[in-house]
Amino acid sequence: MTNSPLFELRGISKEFPGVKALDNVSFEIKAGEVHMLVGENGAGKSTLMKVLCGAYRADQGAFFHNGAQVAIDGPADARKFGIAVIFQEFTLVPYLDIAQNIFLGREFKSRVSGLIDRRRIHAEAKRALDMIGLHIDPRTPVHKLGVAQQQMVEIAKALSQEARILVMDEPTAALSDRETDLLFAMIKRLKRKGVAIIYISHRLSEVLALGDRITVLRDGRKIASLLPAETSPDQLVMLMVGRPVDATYTRPSRPTPGEVVLEVKDLSGPGRFSDVNLTVCAGEIVGLCGLVGSGRTEVARAIFGADRVSAGEIRLNGKRIGASAEDSVRRGIALIPENRKAQGLAVARSVGDNIVLVGLRKLFPSGIFVPRRAMKAARAVIDKLRIATPSPRRPVATLSGGNQQKVVIGKWLNADAKFYIFDEPTRGIDVGAKAEIFRLLDGLVHNGAGILMISSEQIEIVRICDRAYVMRSGRIAGELKHHELTEANIVRLGIHQ
Amino acid sequence: MSTHALVQFKLARVPGVAFALITLCIVFALTSPGFATAINIANVLTQSTILLLLALPMTLIIMTEGLDLSIGAVLTFSSIVLAIVAISTGSAVLGLFAALAVGLCFGTLNGVLVARLDIPPFITTLGTLGIAQGLSLVVTDGQSVVGIPRSIETIYSGTVVGIPLPIILAALAYALTHALLYQTRFGTYVFALGGNREALRVAGISMRGMLIRVYAFGGLMAGFAALLMTARLNSAHPTAGIGMEFDAIAAIAVGGTSFERGNGWLFGTLLGVITVGVLRNGLNLLAVPSSAQVACVGALVIVALFIDGLRGEQ
Repeated sequence: MTNSPLFELRGISKEFPGVKALDNVSFEIKAGEVHMLVGENGAGKSTLMKVLCGAYRADQGAFFHNGAQVAIDGPADARKFGIAVIFQEFTLVPYLDIAQNIFLGREFKSRVSGLIDRRRIHAEAKRALDMIGLHIDPRTPVHKLGVAQQQMVEIAKALSQEARILVMDEPTAALSDRETDLLFAMIKRLKRKGVAIIYISHRLSEVLALGDRITVLRDGRKIASLLPAETSPDQLVMLMVGRPVDATYTRPSRPTPGEVVLEVKDLSGPGRFSDVNLTVCAGEIVGLCGLVGSGRTEVARAIFGADRVSAGEIRLNGKRIGASAEDSVRRGIALIPENRKAQGLAVARSVGDNIVLVGLRKLFPSGIFVPRRAMKAARAVIDKLRIATPSPRRPVATLSGGNQQKVVIGKWLNADAKFYIFDEPTRGIDVGAKAEIFRLLDGLVHNGAGILMISSEQIEIVRICDRAYVMRSGRIAGELKHHELTEANIVRLGIHQ
Repeated sequence: MSTHALVQFKLARVPGVAFALITLCIVFALTSPGFATAINIANVLTQSTILLLLALPMTLIIMTEGLDLSIGAVLTFSSIVLAIVAISTGSAVLGLFAALAVGLCFGTLNGVLVARLDIPPFITTLGTLGIAQGLSLVVTDGQSVVGIPRSIETIYSGTVVGIPLPIILAALAYALTHALLYQTRFGTYVFALGGNREALRVAGISMRGMLIRVYAFGGLMAGFAALLMTARLNSAHPTAGIGMEFDAIAAIAVGGTSFERGNGWLFGTLLGVITVGVLRNGLNLLAVPSSAQVACVGALVIVALFIDGLRGEQ
């Protein structure tokens, strides 16, 4: 690693109407370095990266490439200096193959005028994939790839465009543990080749494990730049939120679990999971863990009645359910899905509309919609969950991730659910909002609800749940109670021996 | 793997449109003696050529998550212009160029309205459908244009080494469109227009320019199809192309092109066009009136997509 920075931003300020998004922020990146950028949602990380890649123009500040001052007036300038962003929302075309995606807009011309040289595109793509250690046929259509592989294709695409500085925004958010390991191995490989990586993450463990340097932003200002060795998760959280917060939310004492709310017996879904047995009692939060692909989400969807099963039974308060999702909702099961935007929310509609959506039948038994009553019901939920919105009429899209998640929870509150399934409830949510979501879960079980919670973050399961089931290859590998419920045990049960 | 599983596995790879086509052929071969004859099969294929010329570019348009409802009306108007120009100048070639020019103008207009003014394709092409159809009726006063040069008629009835000329022209059009979609930059960007426009923007490609070209191609092909239509009728008729957009969209849907994410299949469109052609031909042989045939084409679309949906679930 050289000591002079490859690229440097000095004194960057950026103002939006009413908000100072960046205030005199300086940031530098060296070749072969992984520079972690952390901060709560709204701290200015994304804005800073958009300035770097030319999507926004800074109001003030200067850029230096290899020590010489340069200008970045647009994305083309940023590309010229080898800056590439790996977007969270992938910029891949689903029905083109990997090679065509990597060379989109830069197709090699064939000797026959007007045609493209597909053979050369595939050969060059293979080289780009080999470079990052992804051994997969470049003729595979992208829609057949998993999230992790798509991300790697994005990275190969950037590198094939001579990118020397990669910006990764929460790259592990959608990956399983094994895929995360692959990504980290690839990042280390890129480091050795002298690629500089700016890495935005909410996961403090990976920030400390992977980073060479850590920069903390808060409210548009740079708070600290430090080395992983000289800090700790607690200190990072304190720097991020600006006040000592108990990041290690501890589970408050809970009433002894009541009667069994949910009972799943010998449940099998063809090719997805088999012989799943589990119970959840009233007043209990039960974890469902395992690697992505172990069948967690599939089991949850089956319990909810969203997918058909081939054998077994599901009982809610002793009565058989699982025939259909409509039936489950009517009987008081709530599913808070993994993908809020795609499955949980009508993003373009208002906060109020979303909140009353599930409870429509109960609120308006006659079938006639009374706006005033809907608004009142929405306001009650907004107050109860402390959703930060100026009005129920605001579109959900304008809310932060944490508040959007509260809206999803809020809509079920209105439907009087007795049993909740949370699939990755804290994905993409900042530290402060996470604690609030957990308190909400607590409130629900205090009122006698049962909760089944899926999470890839084992530490969350250990801290929140009373018990946990660990899945492996579509089966329950084991149940962990009380003192057995540790991260080490979850990992041990979840991986193949 | 058991034999049963093996059969299932292989069947799962056969697209729904192939099932539909084979089933229809078997049913018609059993019910009407005139169906499975060489003459009739050549007849079905020849009659399908005009629809294919419209369905090919329409597949590309639908892959961009667009639509072109005007394509039948543009064909009609192009055909009328072709007839008038050919009669007044005595030159079939000039007539063809005039028809191509009319098609290209309408296609480009559609493209500009969709890409530059952001008017939804459905609305844009519904509007140009009205304009083209209205112009056709105004220019002809609702009457057929007759007396076109004899040379035009031979384009539909002629053969080259025994193969009907329309089939050769349609095969060339298919080869051209196939190369355009799978072997050129333009085709690659068609996939991207429907699949992920952000990807194009990031790659620095003018989305609008591409979109205009897609619609312009549609208009041009409609102008070319007008040549076959005029030759077939030996005249130009102001209602000749009415409803052809319905058959084209139906054939594409049957062929397995989805209306989302740029998921298109050009060979499927070819099979879909033949399937619609076989259905209409078989119903003709069974003396089913053409009004009832429309209902059958509609039912075909639903059945084919239902089969595809069932298999997708497995």
